[in-house]
Amino acid sequence: MPPKLFQSEILAIEPELGDASRVTISVPAGMANEVRPGQFVHILPRGEGTLDPLLRRPFSVMRPRPENQSVDILVRPFGRGSGWIARQKIGASLDVLGLLGNGFSINPSARNLLMVAGGVGAAPLVMLSEEAVEKGLNVTFLMGGATAAALLSPSQLPESVEYVVATDDGSQGHHGFVTDLAPNYVPWADQVFTCGPEMMFRSLRRALEPHRLHRKPPIQVSMERSMACGIGACLGCVVETKKGMSASCVDGPVYDLDLIDW
Amino acid sequence: MTLPDISVDLAPNNPRELRLANPVIPASGCFGYGQEYAHLIDVQRLGAFVSKGITPKPRSGNPMPRIVETPAGMLNAIGLQNPGLRDFIKKYPPIWNDWTVPVIVNISAETVEDFVEMAATLDEVPGIAGLEVNVSCPNVNAGGFCFGWDADMTAEVTRAVRAVTTLPVIVKLSPGAIDIVEIAQAAEEAGADAVSLINTLVGMTIDTRRRKPILANQTGGLSGPAVKPVAVRMVYQVAQGVSIPIVGLGGITSLNDALEFFMAGASAIQVGTAMFVQPTIAMDLIDQLPVWLQQQGCESLADIIGSANPRFRAKLAVESAESAAV
Ligand SMILES: Cc1cc2nc3c(=O)[nH]c(=O)nc-3n(C[C@H](O)[C@H](O)[C@H](O)COP(=O)(O)OP(=O)(O)OC[C@H]3O[C@@H](n4cnc5c(N)ncnc54)[C@H](O)[C@@H]3O)c2cc1C
Ligand SMILES: Cc1cc2nc3c(=O)[nH]c(=O)nc-3n(C[C@H](O)[C@H](O)[C@H](O)COP(=O)(O)O)c2cc1C
Ligand code: FES
Repeated sequence: MPPKLFQSEILAIEPELGDASRVTISVPAGMANEVRPGQFVHILPRGEGTLDPLLRRPFSVMRPRPENQSVDILVRPFGRGSGWIARQKIGASLDVLGLLGNGFSINPSARNLLMVAGGVGAAPLVMLSEEAVEKGLNVTFLMGGATAAALLSPSQLPESVEYVVATDDGSQGHHGFVTDLAPNYVPWADQVFTCGPEMMFRSLRRALEPHRLHRKPPIQVSMERSMACGIGACLGCVVETKKGMSASCVDGPVYDLDLIDW
Repeated sequence: MTLPDISVDLAPNNPRELRLANPVIPASGCFGYGQEYAHLIDVQRLGAFVSKGITPKPRSGNPMPRIVETPAGMLNAIGLQNPGLRDFIKKYPPIWNDWTVPVIVNISAETVEDFVEMAATLDEVPGIAGLEVNVSCPNVNAGGFCFGWDADMTAEVTRAVRAVTTLPVIVKLSPGAIDIVEIAQAAEEAGADAVSLINTLVGMTIDTRRRKPILANQTGGLSGPAVKPVAVRMVYQVAQGVSIPIVGLGGITSLNDALEFFMAGASAIQVGTAMFVQPTIAMDLIDQLPVWLQQQGCESLADIIGSANPRFRAKLAVESAESAAV
């Protein structure tokens, strides 16, 4: 389905991940069936009668809900745009462009999938985990946050997922970074999927480097870049890859970590 | 009842003409090469569009971050990422040749010779309706001083481009010039068919936590609603000083914004940053403009061009009297 512009309605708002919210927004007929994990929606973070903040903000789909033609997104009130969205109430209307981006892909031969999530980066990995479990695959979900309150609640993941957490302050799980945990799982994992701050990708790559042979398991990463258009027109969101500059809104946001030029 | 005529010719002095069904044009760098928007809007209904600036050689552009939002605007330092003249010609004009919408190609260069090479090569390429010469570039042979900030350099580029192409030539002016009217007149005298203004204003924003500019390039071009009053003022002044058509742009997000430019003296408008935010904005303007004109009792768009600019209208009256006398 090519991207569409649509008016969406906020159907539900639930607290999640500390100060973040899980927001259920309506989507056009058929769209919820077509979302691929890792795809995102581009939301105008303001109402009528104002031009500020000017640009849309991208949010990964956390969970499609085909049964009531909606999707969940996870919104962390960070700055002006996300803060505005987080302050909206049930019934409010949002101006949305979507679906955008390429999404994660599970190799047909993969059995064991390792997810490495930092903060709201958990959102697309929740959807990916649900899809993997439905296919009968094994999923381990590593989640990092500043404190216990900032972690994804286990109820957001299918029961069969092994959920392991790390906190910066040691209030729950491993005391330290989520990337410290990852090397233990490398021999088991057929594929690794990660989303979170760019710092985390760098330390993940460093942590896994000595444990990977012939770049195995492959690692897919969802990159976060400031975006303007979301459709490949402005070239503001590029990722430097070994094949050249890549517009992360259309050719990403998901990339093979080994293809990124850091 | 038929709606008022909103068609325009942006190159009335050029036998090749640049006739547009309507005066609404997505701006360079804000519309890719046209295909990016083809899923979202009916690209063929546009008056025209301007493609992303191209350079003689491929450019990978600036490091990240390249964009940052500012109050009611944005800064960009894309760095003219583009495939270069040769790959560009292979890839895009053949597609445009099957389209009905006129495509204006934006060219950028750091020497007069490079501008000439591109203009000469593009002259006979099917699928191209006109050139927009981006003089907001540093001239490497003038210590990096921007072509568009100097009347002589602007005239030199315009004359050189004019000499090697019969395509309609629009010179896109930089708001960084001290006297933009002087630059516009230099472009007109050197053979430009039209001028477009404004390009972005050079700006900066600093990350106070990291104590350095947010953009990797440090400076970037300011665009969006924040620049509109500057752009309207410049169009108003330039309209009093030149006789060629003016394409106005800078911060347009609504019909009222577009009307400001027309009333200042623009014959057509471009929409840049707003295309990122509201991809349907150009279509909305195309639909709304004739309806508004009709409500105002206008027969055509010409009725309102410069209607807030008495000196421009007086000049226009003198010019049309002169041409009637000939
Ligand atoms: C593909 C993708 C998916 C995303 N998914 C989610 C998601 O699921 N949930 C979620 O909460 N967020 C997600 N984001 C991030 C989200 O789109 C916003 O960028 C984020 O919420 C911040 O926007 P804001 O308006 O709140 O902050 P702003 O007000 O825009 O920024 C706050 C401050 O940070 C600075 N700043 C912002 N970006 C940068 C930068 N790149 N470099 C330097 N300084 C910067 C600004 O200048 C400002 O001072 C995603 C981003 C991408 C690209
Ligand atoms: C991301 C971006 C890229 C741009 N690239 C070009 C370009 O390649 N050539 C050019 O002449 N102008 C370029 N511009 C300038 C616009 O065409 C326009 O002059 C400017 O943005 C002001 O209009 P606006 O406020 O409607 O955006 C670019 C602007 C933006 C925001
Ligand atoms: S956000 Fe404009 S090209 Fe990706």
